Amino acid sequence: SCLREKPVMSNIGKSTNILWHDCPIGQTERQKLLGQKGCVIWITGLSGSGKSTVACALSRELHYRGHHTYVLDGDNLRHGLNRDLSFKAEDRTENIRRVGEVAKLFADAGTICIASLISPYRRDRDACRALLPDSRFIEVFMDLPLELCEARDPKGLYKLARTGKIKGFTGVDDPYESPVNSEIVIKMEGGECPSPKAMAQQVLSYLEKNGYLQA
Amino acid sequence: EELLLLEGENRVLEMSSTVPKSSNIFWHDCPVGKTDRQNLLKQKGCVVWITGLSGSGKSTLACTLGRELHTRGKLAYVLDGDNLRHGLNKDLGFAAEDRAENIRRVGEVAKLFADAGLVCIASFISPYRRDRESCRALLSDGSFIEVFLNMSLELCEARDPKGLYKLARAGKIKGFTGIDDPYEAPLNCEIEIKEVDGVCPSPSDMAAQVITYLEDKGFLHE
Repeated sequence: SCLREKPVMSNIGKSTNILWHDCPIGQTERQKLLGQKGCVIWITGLSGSGKSTVACALSRELHYRGHHTYVLDGDNLRHGLNRDLSFKAEDRTENIRRVGEVAKLFADAGTICIASLISPYRRDRDACRALLPDSRFIEVFMDLPLELCEARDPKGLYKLARTGKIKGFTGVDDPYESPVNSEIVIKMEGGECPSPKAMAQQVLSYLEKNGYLQA
Repeated sequence: EELLLLEGENRVLEMSSTVPKSSNIFWHDCPVGKTDRQNLLKQKGCVVWITGLSGSGKSTLACTLGRELHTRGKLAYVLDGDNLRHGLNKDLGFAAEDRAENIRRVGEVAKLFADAGLVCIASFISPYRRDRESCRALLSDGSFIEVFLNMSLELCEARDPKGLYKLARAGKIKGFTGIDDPYEAPLNCEIEIKEVDGVCPSPSDMAAQVITYLEDKGFLHE
């Protein structure tokens, strides 16, 4: 039987009578199957800083090396799981919380889960970090200046924000709290932004060096 | 509301005020897609949704099925109602609207796992037909596989693995499925498991039934 002899009952949050179930197949077994360590690569930065671009480039580089990855993109999630949430501060917090919990599940499944969200509030990002023990939360800070992001304005959002058509837009009239202890910081080099492939390689090197690309 | 036209890598997405609560939301395409992941894992992503009364054996089947799939070199992951309620859904209780939101979120997560190429085994009482059908609607044809553990209330109550039926009968828990909250049996599930001559099949036999279905439908190869 997969269940313990004596059920352990707990009262967690709003649910009472909840029981933990043990399963014979866990993260360790799945990691052996996949030849990697499940982890969360959390890419944070202003709109237009290149988060989704790095997420995609990284997943491609990892896939070509035979690694299983999955990208959780803030925008894509807001069409599904988080479709009930807006951009108000409390909804941003809940958005991040849910993504953190889902990313944790993917990491437990053995997948290299790449989460790509503005995630502007330090407390919310740190709460996600706290969900993952054993250094399985790898924060990547897209440290690119507002001017560069705004000049790109890939979705036309800065323009809308500057003309007051969008309120509470990060970087314009909502704060971005820079990380203070990211594992990886991506910045301009010689006044230029690195190519997507170079940025992906920076993350890849970190993963290789720290043993994530083997079980 | 303004109408924004924008181009993704291969798609044009039209935004309007009918988009849900977040506007200015964009689809991002990635070069690595579901097919690539399925080729890497040598399987097809799907959701095996196990539904039934408390004590009907859902978690046991989920565990056994996960183990059998792992033995075959397949990547599976169990989403269990109780485990999820410690994390993603810890803000939800057991009132009807919370049950619906619980199932909605699980369905969306299961969809992500299927998209990632995994065999996602979801094990939830999920008592309301409408909520299960909403999850079914999230997935493409054939990749939502509903498994109904059709065990009698008597059998489940006799087991009472968590002592919950006893608490419910004593009025200490309210709104407990099967006692004072309804269970709406599936009408069109892919797999139904029932007692045979008053005896419940073994976990291995139940798992084998699901594995056979998955094999026949081609989920266990790319």
